[in-house]
Amino acid sequence: MTTRHYLITMLAVTALWVVALLTVPPFARLVEQLMLWFLSTNAG
Amino acid sequence: MLRITLQILGLLAVLLGATIVTLKIKHQDGDGPSILFPGGALVSGELHEGPEPDWGFTDDVYVIELQLENPPTSRRIFVMESDGRLFVPSGYMRSFLGRLWKDWAFEADAGRSLAVARIDGVRYERRLVRVTDPEIVDGVAVKMAEKYAGGAQPDTVAQIERSIADGDTWIFELAPRDA
Repeated sequence: MTTRHYLITMLAVTALWVVALLTVPPFARLVEQLMLWFLSTNAG
Repeated sequence: MLRITLQILGLLAVLLGATIVTLKIKHQDGDGPSILFPGGALVSGELHEGPEPDWGFTDDVYVIELQLENPPTSRRIFVMESDGRLFVPSGYMRSFLGRLWKDWAFEADAGRSLAVARIDGVRYERRLVRVTDPEIVDGVAVKMAEKYAGGAQPDTVAQIERSIADGDTWIFELAPRDA
């Protein structure tokens, strides 16, 4: 992928991701659960 | 191949950053915390008044919501009843994550200890008092092991007590404000 296409793709994916986090509560909860699991197993 | 790998890693890093920023902003003024991110003041729910409840009902409560009054941020936290009193833990206190994540415990220990706890939708005005008395810690450690560590086996309880004695885990009592 060229740099230009990569940056456009990244921007689009990030925008969709942020909208999903803000408007789909089960998705936001799932993402938080995954982050908490990762932190719990790697903290200390 | 390397280029593609770096592009994927770059995208994942951007998504992680966007996730943290988005969820932190989304929850910071909300009525209570989310799973991982602190929330704002606990404003909904009946405010308990009158005599101290029998805290035994919290044996069936996995986490509660705890808000400091100053600053008015809230988070989810474990809870243990022992000897008729209510306690909350704060772990990782000597780790990098703890210093980043557990600012409420440092604030409470420094004297900004007025708090509001919301348990099963009911709010209780409390005062956080850090506990180090081994007699009290013993009972709390047993309950903590029973509720959150698979059972109060001697090794498990000893590990929790050691964590508290070493300062990795702090225990606070949710004491009445007029005590």
